[in-house]
Amino acid sequence: MTRKLYIVSTTIFWLVVFGLGMTSALWNPAEQGNVQAQGKTITLVELAKHAAPGNCWMAIRGSVYDLSAYLPAHPSLPDIVLPWCGKEATEAYNTKTKGRPHAPYADELLTKYRIGTLAKAP
Amino acid sequence: MTRLRTLSLPILLLLFVGLPVFWAFPEALPFWRTVGVILGWAGAGLLLFNLLLMVREVRIASGLGGLERITAWHHQTGLAAYLLLLLHPLALATAGWVESPELAWQVISPFSENWPVWLGWGGLICLMLGLAATFMHHLAYGTWRWLHGLLGLGVLAGFVHVLQLGISAGGLFALVAAVLLLLWRLLRVDLGIAAMPYIVTSVRSVAQSMVEVSLKPLAIPINAAPGQFVLTAFFKGPSYQGCGEFHPFTISDIGLEHELRIGVKALGDCTRRMQRLEPGVSARVHGPFGEFLKALPSRPQLWVAGGIGITPFLGFLRQQAVKNPTTLIYIYRGEQDAAYLDELTALSKACPELSLLAEATGTGLPNLQQLLPAANALANHECYVCGPPGLIEAVSRVLLDRGVPVERIHFEHFDFR
Repeated sequence: MTRKLYIVSTTIFWLVVFGLGMTSALWNPAEQGNVQAQGKTITLVELAKHAAPGNCWMAIRGSVYDLSAYLPAHPSLPDIVLPWCGKEATEAYNTKTKGRPHAPYADELLTKYRIGTLAKAP
Repeated sequence: MTRLRTLSLPILLLLFVGLPVFWAFPEALPFWRTVGVILGWAGAGLLLFNLLLMVREVRIASGLGGLERITAWHHQTGLAAYLLLLLHPLALATAGWVESPELAWQVISPFSENWPVWLGWGGLICLMLGLAATFMHHLAYGTWRWLHGLLGLGVLAGFVHVLQLGISAGGLFALVAAVLLLLWRLLRVDLGIAAMPYIVTSVRSVAQSMVEVSLKPLAIPINAAPGQFVLTAFFKGPSYQGCGEFHPFTISDIGLEHELRIGVKALGDCTRRMQRLEPGVSARVHGPFGEFLKALPSRPQLWVAGGIGITPFLGFLRQQAVKNPTTLIYIYRGEQDAAYLDELTALSKACPELSLLAEATGTGLPNLQQLLPAANALANHECYVCGPPGLIEAVSRVLLDRGVPVERIHFEHFDFR
């Protein structure tokens, strides 16, 4: 009985994971309500207005990103990421766990959420 | 079993699962993300509980209702933890799916170059492989035990995964607790620190592929009762080299000087080697464990033994005569496998309350409909069954069909894989 349960659950798990990977690979970004890069310049004051979990912008390396949709999927606890909403977060982004920067994969992921450029300080 | 002992395992289970879930219960997270986090912590709590059930300490085992019961819980909670941890990443992916399938995949993708995700996958795959090996009963015990160790590695990887996610307090506590429990098991049980030193004084053949080994204590003897079992490992002798693995053996007799006698049947590589045991071989004995014939109620008894399953009954009868009318049905394959039959016959002749029915049944399953007493003859009986799992299952089924309440059917598997 337990053996059967193990085999069935493991098989279903891999089918779902494989299915998810395939769906993601075949997904057409044009249908996503694209939030690709725009040329808008955003000031620190405007950035600070978006500091809530459901409305979270962050400035990283000179660009501004709307991470509201991504936050629920971020691996770390909300306590670690949420305080950076509405702020310039380059340092935090570059020094995550034990001072290591995020992986190139994260940089690539970030570009999908870019909404503008951070205005230079006067 | 007392009420407290019966409730001990469910209470501990609630604590081990409830406390981490309560501590880590997320606030203001989307529904599926909340489900994913709860599944992760419930699985982690179950894994820690599972590690506790792996610690074979005499007092703990007795307090929790015996090693047989603990092992059954170990198997069930281990699988339950695995199922919850399979669902954990899928629930997190579902949270991402609300945004887009691409994001759902990004959450769990092992190609994400992200240590927390890699460790999560590493832990899950170790659990997967370790569990797969657990179900391979045909593997040699030594190989099986090493592969089973993958489960411990999976647990550690899982808790480092929690640490990497930035959950430092919970992750660190769980990791330290897991390391301590694994070390406890490794040092006290597998390396035998909890066991006492004994030496083999005699070995005699009692049936084909079965010997009875006498052991003399070299230090403080263990406080055992016949019918209980001990975990015993054999090491070096004058011309014998044991495999050093701890295996369970039922105590068939206890002498005045606390010498133990145990029945050893060749069931695998290591026990096959034990058939060549000789006086002077050093041994370590851990225990005693087992509740099988510990508290016999004052009512008629039916004892059913299959093969080496006769040992606990023989151990009991060697120490005391039965006080209630008792029928002992002893099933074995052929005459050459009928261990202790002469002695049992003599014991039954000397004890008017004991009737012995011994039957050679060949290699197939015996005709239990015919062998077991009819329903009216079983009224008010307490039934004890010991033997191979298939026989226990078949006997229990017939007894239930004949109206014996489930709480009056007792059995011991002696299978701790």
